[in-house]
Order: sequence, then structure tokens, then C-alpha cells
Amino acid sequence: MKEYALNEPLTEGFLKFLEQFGTVRLLEQLRKPYFSFEKEQFISIKGFVGDSIVEVRYKKEFQDLVADYFHLLLYYYDQGEQGIAHLKGQEDSIRDKMKIRLGLPKGNLT
Amino acid sequence: MDYIPEDKRTPFIYLNNAATTWPKPSQVLEEVAACLRNPVHEAGRTTGSGSTDYPSVARESLASFFHADLPENFIFTQNATDALNLLIHGFVKKTGKPFHAIATELDHNSVLRPLSSQEQDGRISLSMVPFTDNKVSLAAIKEAIRSETRLVVMTHGSNVLGSVQEIKPIAEYLRTNDIFFIVDGAQTTGHIPINLSDIPVGAFVFTGHKALFGIPGTGGFYISEPETIAITRQGGTGTDSRTLTQPFEMPMRFETGTPNYPGIASLYAGLRFINTIGLDKIELKEQELTRNFVRELKQIPGITIYNDAPTLPVVSFNIRCIDNHEAGFILARAYSIITRTGLHCSPLVHERIDGGKGCIRVSFSWFNSPEECSRTADAIREVAQSADTQVRSDQGMR
Repeated sequence: MKEYALNEPLTEGFLKFLEQFGTVRLLEQLRKPYFSFEKEQFISIKGFVGDSIVEVRYKKEFQDLVADYFHLLLYYYDQGEQGIAHLKGQEDSIRDKMKIRLGLPKGNLT
Repeated sequence: MDYIPEDKRTPFIYLNNAATTWPKPSQVLEEVAACLRNPVHEAGRTTGSGSTDYPSVARESLASFFHADLPENFIFTQNATDALNLLIHGFVKKTGKPFHAIATELDHNSVLRPLSSQEQDGRISLSMVPFTDNKVSLAAIKEAIRSETRLVVMTHGSNVLGSVQEIKPIAEYLRTNDIFFIVDGAQTTGHIPINLSDIPVGAFVFTGHKALFGIPGTGGFYISEPETIAITRQGGTGTDSRTLTQPFEMPMRFETGTPNYPGIASLYAGLRFINTIGLDKIELKEQELTRNFVRELKQIPGITIYNDAPTLPVVSFNIRCIDNHEAGFILARAYSIITRTGLHCSPLVHERIDGGKGCIRVSFSWFNSPEECSRTADAIREVAQSADTQVRSDQGMR
């Protein structure tokens, strides 16, 4: 588990971006709106909208392959629509490495 | 995260006292400081005098606290886990041939792991006794006993369910049948009265950093028959230095090397604090806090409480539609309420009560207030309502 202090608070726009890559859960009726992001085989993120601190957990099995994934999310978010396509490409390449490690044929890793 | 000075931190409600109590009484902090201001003193280890001989006075305080006759039969260790390791491995070594041991589903990993390690090495066979209505009964223990049973280890108080086992009849039965009985009192010591002159345990384990208000790194055990445990640690004791074998005398038989003087000083001050307030008064307040909290929790829809009448100030629960880790995270970060989530190092209890998923645990100490209980219940209500609303809106979208 790692805790990151971001340069600026997390926005709902970032959550919309995250929805492209995994499951986002938002609990809005709390003192602070809470969100979680879950991406199977990759990472989970917990935090609050408007907060600049997030907790990131990397999936144990592929920790070395996904260690930069959170940074990739932040980096490609800044690129807008174009960033979504780029990151999906990066994901495919990480998944291929996962498959090689597991000795699986190419295809969806689920 | 950078260090945040104490006066700049957001005020928080601390409800993880079953792990480590906080805050510590000011007397404890002052005693630790006083201990470190002076050179340490213990008979045989120094020619100095004038400082407090903390190991001796703390041992006497412990004997008085537990109503035990022999202060020297109280041994200091790093914590309860350390004490259990020393006792379990020492008992197995002393017995010298394979035997059958019994533990319970309520036990902490500090009991389960040392026993499992002995089982894996083929030195013991191990049975786990189940609990019924949050407790392990004498009948269940009797059922598990075989002709080759030599050891029973069990928790006195469950760190998840807050239930307290009736150890006296169990201890009496085991003593009659020549089975060594180790009681893990990490959760009960400092919460309820324990009279060791009336309960024939083989050994009773306690920890210092929970309800005795000592600092982390303190704990120990009381042993009624020291010769049943093999000596597994050797070294300097300040006595009998000419001989190369560990002295058999207590407490040097099991205590070796430089003691944790500031830790033992904190334990001594913690015991004094409890005696000043009165254990009965502490117990009453904690029970009232727990009862009120359970009452408020029961009024919140979607909450599952795993024991709604705990004897100890421990309440474990889950909130419908939200994972316990997420709920704990929200309580900590949005409401500044510190709880403990997950398996609480007691995997077998969780296997039974929540399918091994874990839960949220709230645990009180003397220093918690009724207002803190109410604010916590209010926060849990908001989390439960929010999780419920989100699930309903997801279902509505389908």
C-alpha cells in the first residue's frame, strides 16, 4: 500500500477518466465524497473528491508490472481523450507481460 | 507523509484500544521520562543506588494486581506474542516427545502460529476447539481431549467478539488431568479482575501496551510451575556469572539480557494508575460505553453486530454494501475516527462469523467519552446510509 500526496485535489473529472479503465464507486452523501477505483489484476485506489491524498494498493501477483500504473493514470489524464487511447495501449502491453508470466495464450486476461 | 506537529493535527477519536491503548495516562509518560533521566538500577547489574529498581517494583505490583503469591514468577517479555512463543516452544521442548495440543477458534495468531509451526515440524498434533455463543466451553475442551493431550492454550478474552471465557472450571479440570494450561490474557488484563490465586492456570500471559497502559514493547507471563517450561534463552543475568548455564532461579530462568527499563517503568506506572482509579470503576465505565454504543449501532439499518453483549469493550460489526477496509478508511479520513479493520490476527473467528472477509472493530478504553461513542455511531450511520443509497441508485439504473 502506498499513500500519495498529489499536487492538487482530485476532481470528479479524474473519476470520469478512471471509469474508462475500471470500476469507480462514489459515495456522495458523506462528509467528504468518497471514491474507490478497482482494476482487476492492476490496482485499487481509495480517496476523497477534493482531497489531495490517495491510498493506492497494487495487486500482489504483478506488483512489478503495475507499479507505475497510478503514475500513468495521472500522466494520461492530463492529455484528455488522446490519453485514454494511449493508456489503453499501455495496458495491453502490461497484460501481454502478465500472460507470458502466467503461461497463458494471448486474449483477455480475466 | 511528512511529520505533522501534535498541535497542528486534526483532533481524532481513537477507538483501537484493543490493539494499543491511547492516550497513555500522564503518570505513565512521566515515569518513562523519569526512568530515562536516571541511570538504570537493578540488583546485581550495577553498583549504583538511589534509582528505582523498576523490574522488582513492577513485579511486586503485578503480583498484587493478579493476587498471586510469588512476584518472581512474573516474567517480563516484549509483548504477549513473545511470552506465548517462549511458553509454547519451551513446553514442547521440555516434553521432549510428540503429544497432542488443543487451541481454540477464538485464538489470536500469537497462539495459532507457534502451535502450527510445532505441528508442521511433527512435534505435536493439534486440535481446534470451536466456540458456541461466542465462547469456548469446558464441554467442548473435554470433547477434544485425548489420552496423549498435554497442552491447552486458549484466549481468555476474544479480541474480535469481546467475549470472556470461563477459565476457572477449565483450569481446574485440566489441572486434575495433568494437562498444562496456558491462558492468553492479552485482552482481559486491565479490563476485568483476574485472581490467579483462585484459578489454577499453568501460565497466564499479559501484555503491557493495551489496558495496562504501558508503552509498546512490554508484556509478560505468570507461571505457576516454572520447571514445566524448558529454558530456550540464555545470557547475562547479573547473577551466577561464573557458571555457563542459565540460572534456574526465577526470574533469571527466563529473563536474560538488559531489561526494557523504560517499558517496565511504564507498566509499573500504568498499574499504579489503574489502582488509583480502581479497576471496578474502569470496568463499569467501559461496559457503559460499550452498551451505549451497541444500542446506537443496533438502531442503524444495515449493520451486522457479531456480539451485541460483549463483556470486554470490543464491538465488531460490518456495514451492508461496503467492504470493512473501505468503511474503516472513510471513518478515519472523513470523520477522524480510528478503528481497526480486517481479520485482527484472528483468522479462525472471522472464518466463522463473516466467512473470512473481516470486519470493523471499535474498542474503548477508560479515556473514551460517551460523546465520542455518539459521534462514532453518527458517522457509521452516515456511511451506512450512503452505501445503501448508492446501491439503490445502481439498482435503479439497471
